[in-house]
Amino acid sequence: MMTSRRRFLKLTGAAAAAVGLPAAPARAQSGPVKIGVLAAKAGVTAPVGESGLRGVQFATDRINAGGGILGRRIALVVEEESSPKDTVERFRKLSLSDKVDVVSGAVSTGVGLALGPVAEEMKTIWLAWDATTQKGVEETMPKPRYSFRSCDNECEAVMASILTAKNWKGAFRRVAGINPDYSYGRDNWAAFLAIMKRHGIEVEVVSELWPKLGSTDFTSHVAALQQAKPDLVFSCFWAGDTPIFMKQAHAAGLTQGTKFVLTTGGGVHESMKKAFTPEGVLLGYNSMYFEHPRASALMKEFVRWHHEQFKEWPNYESDHGYFTVVAYKAAVERAAKAAGGRWPSVDQIVAALEGVEVESLSGPRRYREDHIMEATFFQGYTTHKNKHDFVTVDPVEAMGTKQIQKPSGVGLYDWINSWKV
Amino acid sequence: MLGGVFHAAVLFLVAAGLQLVFGVQRILNLACGSFYALGAYTGVSAVGWALGAGLPAPLFVLVLLAAGVALAAIGPPIERLLRTIYDRDEAFQLLLTFALVLMLEDVIRFVWGTAPVQLGGVYLVYGQARIASTTVPVYNLVVIAAGALIALGMGWFLARSRFGRIVRATAENREMAEALGVDMSRVYVRVFTLGVGLGTVGGALVIPATAAMNEMGIELIVEAFAVVVIGGLGSMRGAAAGALIVGVLKGVAIATWPEVEMLAIYVIVIAVLVLRPAGLFARATA
Repeated sequence: MMTSRRRFLKLTGAAAAAVGLPAAPARAQSGPVKIGVLAAKAGVTAPVGESGLRGVQFATDRINAGGGILGRRIALVVEEESSPKDTVERFRKLSLSDKVDVVSGAVSTGVGLALGPVAEEMKTIWLAWDATTQKGVEETMPKPRYSFRSCDNECEAVMASILTAKNWKGAFRRVAGINPDYSYGRDNWAAFLAIMKRHGIEVEVVSELWPKLGSTDFTSHVAALQQAKPDLVFSCFWAGDTPIFMKQAHAAGLTQGTKFVLTTGGGVHESMKKAFTPEGVLLGYNSMYFEHPRASALMKEFVRWHHEQFKEWPNYESDHGYFTVVAYKAAVERAAKAAGGRWPSVDQIVAALEGVEVESLSGPRRYREDHIMEATFFQGYTTHKNKHDFVTVDPVEAMGTKQIQKPSGVGLYDWINSWKV
Repeated sequence: MLGGVFHAAVLFLVAAGLQLVFGVQRILNLACGSFYALGAYTGVSAVGWALGAGLPAPLFVLVLLAAGVALAAIGPPIERLLRTIYDRDEAFQLLLTFALVLMLEDVIRFVWGTAPVQLGGVYLVYGQARIASTTVPVYNLVVIAAGALIALGMGWFLARSRFGRIVRATAENREMAEALGVDMSRVYVRVFTLGVGLGTVGGALVIPATAAMNEMGIELIVEAFAVVVIGGLGSMRGAAAGALIVGVLKGVAIATWPEVEMLAIYVIVIAVLVLRPAGLFARATA
């Protein structure tokens, strides 16, 4: 059968429409500002997604109570973050069908790698919570226009390694790593070893264990660690695997006399019970610590609200969520001022987001000109002296991403090797 | 090694439930992993409640066993649901039992939330033992012993008891057993409930050593299938041997060459599939 020219044009036109090639969809200039939210609801990332959503909710309630953004209320359209493929579809739906002004959310790196190009294609601003557009430690999108991403995944490992080098130099030699078996675990462990080398600390790697993400049984891993007799165990577990590992390590006597570095365990801080988490563990809370002795009034209000609402003490993901909403508001207002008070275009908002700095829960945060978040990270040494049944840290150490995040356009290891120590 | 045997004991219980149900009812029950997760969550709640009511801590393991056994009560209604697909294609069975997996996951999320749930302060009630220069919590040995006892009990039950004989007869030849006057629907309900109970007891027993997470069921289903392939589908001895092989192999791999932890298991699975496709302990099929 011959395909007529007219039929052919019709087909290609339909195809172009189907893949969303036309220019950015028109968005409402009145009525509520729609913020699409992608929050994980199932699987290992569910608690993280829930936490981010709470931060978004808190920011939205506050902004709406204060009159909204330029007089427009915020309305949230919440969708689920799941597999990369499905989440991409939901992102398209948020943009095309719900006509949201901006999308906030996503925590999985796999999802982030898929969303990055779609945000560009849809010309929809995407403010990531934790998902990055990095594969390993290399950028897959060197110059994104519509994607704004979180801090590097390795910030917590870099900070923990610097603290380890500073405070424990000479007190350990045999090191073991137990990290989840995917890029995050591999990259964090590699960063730790590179920083030990840079600091001239000679270590002997006695065991490298790679359990699957979300494992619930580490008895064999703990047995292997007992055999290896490390002075220091490094782990970037960040989910329910953290307390399980510590519980089983403690039950086997491994926590006696061994130093532990848990770069990200503070994400599940309430499950790190005193019964099995010893004092003196280096514990990382990422970019927010709920019980900071010098917390701002805003932070205190949030912690109180969170505990009243959910009977839980918040973790860092809330602040990622909070920051994205507040940064968006600040950018819109900044762009509107430049545009003579009119609601700004998507491109004007993008320009205003670059370099925007606002007060987040944990302190000042900003977006770098290359669309990467700058924040403060918190870690410390665990203590049992508190009112909870889980550990907290004292003293609290804070480091800014200017110190622990690689600058744009430089490889992580080139950057580490350029440090003056 | 011991870590591997501990893992094997739990794995055996779930795989045994899978085997029993398949052996008799010819249903490949993916939901066996969900029963395990449900058992773990219920164990946490039951022990928390019992300790709150003043139960002496060393008795907690009895509460766990009781919770696991009591939870088997969800067996009959679920069996009633599965009855609609006994005579249909395997694809329907897989779809329906997988739907059950998803539904039970949501039930757990609804009741216990998304954050991991754990049982505080009972893991070390029995203290620690030193075996060959390593420290092992005594509770791990209790779980291993319980797994072994249940395996022996199942073996005796299937070989010697009257109901065990009926179960074996049904597994051998359903029509013949039915023709001889066996009430098939009653056998099915009991067998399925027993299968559920093995999974829930497994989940309840493991919980002091770990934390209950929503996806823990899925994790175990995959390994239980490896066990079943190695041991032979429908064979109880196969479940025990397969669980031991998988558990110990995993432990040895982690201690010697951690990179091949998962690979080693599936190399064995492939070897068994190629050399002895029916599994190590396959029953002769009629």
